[in-house]
Amino acid sequence: MTWWRALVDAGALAGGSGLGVWDRGETATYDTSIVEDSELQTHAIPPSPQPLIPSPVSFLNGIQRWSVVAYDGVVQIVNAYVAAAVRRRDSDGALRTTFERSRAFAIAPLDRMSPAVRQALEQSASDVEAVDGALVEQPARYLEMIEATVRRARARLERELAEAAIADLGLEEWLVIDGLLSRSPGVAQHPRALGVIKSHGAQFLEGRGLERALTLPAGHRTSVFAVRGGHTRTEVYSWYLRLWPWEGNDLLYGLLRIEARAHVETVSRAAELSGWLWAERAPLATPATRWDRLLYPLHHVEEYLKTRAPRDLRPGPSRLSRLPRLAS
Amino acid sequence: MNAIGKVVATELKPSTPHQFHFWTATDTVIGIGAIVKVTGSGTGEEGRVVYGVVTEGFAYSDLQTPLHDVIGAEGDPTRAEDAPTVRQQIRYWTAAVLRQTPEEPLQPVPLGQVFVAADADVAQALRMDTFLYSATPTAIPIGLYTSAGLEAPVYLDADFLLGPEAAHLNISGVSGLATKTSAVEFLLASLFAHFPAHKGRVAAVCFNVKGPDLCFLDQPGDLSAEDRHRYERLNVPAEPFKRVQLYAPLKADGVNLNTLRTHPDLVGDVEPLTWGLQEVVDYAEVLLNRDDIDAKADAFIDFLRDRVLNKSFDDGFGTTHRVQTFADLDRLFRAIFDGLEIVSGGRSDTWRTHHIATMRKVRNRLLNISTRCKGLVTDDGPSSDLPWKEFADRTVYVIDIANVDPLGQDLVFARVVSKLREQLERRELGVDAVVVFVDELNKYAPGDGPETYVKKMLLDISERGRYLGLVLFGAEQFRSQVHRRVVGNAGTQVFGRMDMDELATPGYQVLTPATKSKLATLPIGELMIRHPHFTQPIFVRFPKPPVLRGRDGVERFPPTADVPFEDAVVRQLVRLDRRVRPNQVKDLIADREPDDVRRALAAARRTRPDDVLAYFRKVLGARVEPEASMLREHHAVPPLNPISDEPY
Repeated sequence: MTWWRALVDAGALAGGSGLGVWDRGETATYDTSIVEDSELQTHAIPPSPQPLIPSPVSFLNGIQRWSVVAYDGVVQIVNAYVAAAVRRRDSDGALRTTFERSRAFAIAPLDRMSPAVRQALEQSASDVEAVDGALVEQPARYLEMIEATVRRARARLERELAEAAIADLGLEEWLVIDGLLSRSPGVAQHPRALGVIKSHGAQFLEGRGLERALTLPAGHRTSVFAVRGGHTRTEVYSWYLRLWPWEGNDLLYGLLRIEARAHVETVSRAAELSGWLWAERAPLATPATRWDRLLYPLHHVEEYLKTRAPRDLRPGPSRLSRLPRLAS
Repeated sequence: MNAIGKVVATELKPSTPHQFHFWTATDTVIGIGAIVKVTGSGTGEEGRVVYGVVTEGFAYSDLQTPLHDVIGAEGDPTRAEDAPTVRQQIRYWTAAVLRQTPEEPLQPVPLGQVFVAADADVAQALRMDTFLYSATPTAIPIGLYTSAGLEAPVYLDADFLLGPEAAHLNISGVSGLATKTSAVEFLLASLFAHFPAHKGRVAAVCFNVKGPDLCFLDQPGDLSAEDRHRYERLNVPAEPFKRVQLYAPLKADGVNLNTLRTHPDLVGDVEPLTWGLQEVVDYAEVLLNRDDIDAKADAFIDFLRDRVLNKSFDDGFGTTHRVQTFADLDRLFRAIFDGLEIVSGGRSDTWRTHHIATMRKVRNRLLNISTRCKGLVTDDGPSSDLPWKEFADRTVYVIDIANVDPLGQDLVFARVVSKLREQLERRELGVDAVVVFVDELNKYAPGDGPETYVKKMLLDISERGRYLGLVLFGAEQFRSQVHRRVVGNAGTQVFGRMDMDELATPGYQVLTPATKSKLATLPIGELMIRHPHFTQPIFVRFPKPPVLRGRDGVERFPPTADVPFEDAVVRQLVRLDRRVRPNQVKDLIADREPDDVRRALAAARRTRPDDVLAYFRKVLGARVEPEASMLREHHAVPPLNPISDEPY
């Protein structure tokens, strides 16, 4: 018997991911206050044979791609692409694109480039995002800065698209956004907009509340809490929802954080909205690696965008093989 | 016209010059067998058009493994449909290239848009434009290509159906769906309506080998409005054959016809088919089974043909014979055997170098046929035969041998086809091309089994008939079990609904699983066609034939029971001359020997005089005393061996 088996026998729960709690994304800490109960509680999602699933619903997601396409000395010049789309699901269950935007642009520290290369870049690339050249001599940090730049561009595109979609939203239509709802005040305050957050690097709770949230059983949600903080963020109400049992996996397995407008109605409808999202577990968003937290329609929008992305841009430098490039 | 799909190619499933893949919306009108058009639009591909026929279809979703569906529904199948979002799915099709324009250089299919083929596209795709719009068109409608709401006529090229380029048609399909016979009936109607004048005259000889299948080709059948529309679309008259001549042997009584078309309203149109010794002995090889075939028997038969038949012949024992009938032949054999026994005292067992055993075998086989096929073969008396040298244009000659002994069927096949061939070779048949329809090729030209005369004859037609205008339309249930050269030489192959076991045989490996599945479930009235101009099999629908089906025919015209001898004679004479009074005939034949009456009747049929009764009376001759009739008494010779079940 292994030593950790003894721990399980003593009352601990077995893990399974091998990595434990580990997630990418922002790591900020936010001010929160419980708005539903006196302290953070867990609530079972009421079983319902016919969960209230609104129709139509629009889903918004975005992608980002970038790669270093040229070197001017040690200056790495990047080709970037961000795109976002809104696809509406009607009563037939199929998704159709209603909004779509993309941006292909170059990223370069213009002040650190040689005059000839800079001139060529400015003449040939129609969209150039200039970045600070201070990190050019530190390639790894430079690329982290590039990554953040692309992520910001993507967030901006998603926000613009969300605002356009909200403006066009039907009377009964909902908008579900992959990520933070609170980036745009107009979206964050809309009564039929939800943000679905899969990454849990940011800290909203602590102590007993945090433990309850991270050990939430499948089919349960937490009490609704208000989130405020961050220089661009509007106050929103939020709660955690567990889609799949985490036992045997890790604490974040199947865990979503939902954002909705900061309104008393959100509290009263949290159970109903959780029932809806619980029903969205099927179909599974496989083969996405984070299928346990990714709703299929959002996965679908992402796949749609991937098929339309430029073929010369790969998902991310870290995933690329260094083997010689072959067709197969 | 809007695109309905887009060609896609991957490294694993690339486009080739012969095949391509495309996707469509899930609610597409495309299906297996549909003809599509791909237009090139990329650089260097402008103006390129590729026509293809859909041979395979796939549908799948982004589901990675079925287990994920189980997990999503939490193992409860009733919840599987509750998922609010429908998985992304695809309709993915494989198509085989029918034609590319321009044809050179032959290149992989471009990744262009896919369109449903229109009428003109179908003609292009199937290369029908070359014979449909030429100065001397040779197009014969075979059916309608129906897909995606389109109804486009499909044509066969007469040069490739009836020669000289290619010829013959073979049709396969399970029994009981009336597809094979119906298809051939429709095709004959179409052929007669569209056979090009510059190719001359055409007729058809159909062997009716089972039930009443082909007995009512001159009677109109019930056609639905849809059938009539299809006839209109194909420009084929929706009416029964105008010229049909039906032949049937007589029954053993020599006067009643051995056919199911004996209803009083129709029996008058049936010509008796009877043959005598002369007609049979020329095809004596047919009567010999595999064990009989030897040089000695052949030599003796040749001797009979050359030295004995229709000649004054001395048997060497003091008697002179003139052998014209089976009865004469029997007398000759008896004289020889008696001579060997009595005159030679049994010391010799050879006669004119022929061994007595060989002679007994040949005698047995020849006289056996007159016993087994009494009615078709007459012991004596003249024959009643097809109108050799006087075949008429666009006429169907039906020979009903459904109730004839298998040996007799073989004899009829062999003689009729040999005569057709002989007269076509000499250009004296009266028509330039003859379609011979033979059903049940599994029986007559099996892939295995003994080499019979009939099989050899069918092989001969298949391999050489197209030069003569002798065209075989063969039908069978199991194509795989028909002789390879018979089906292989058929330029046009037609398939109705097929049995799955049959489709699993190697001959169908070229078909995709989807095409096989479609063939296994093909509805009545739909066929798959392979024709030299079509690079891929094409599915077509054909209308119900414009004639009364056999089963319906016997319901509408129920066969009558055999009539008494006198009445049968009266009926045949009245048919020849309506002025004949039944009582006159009955008085005339009262107390007469039936053989004399049959002989007189046959003479009247053959001669067709103006005054039938007078001629009949003359041929019948004066009444003779009863004892004189003893001279004509004939006892059938029992066979040396029991009659074999061996059909050949």
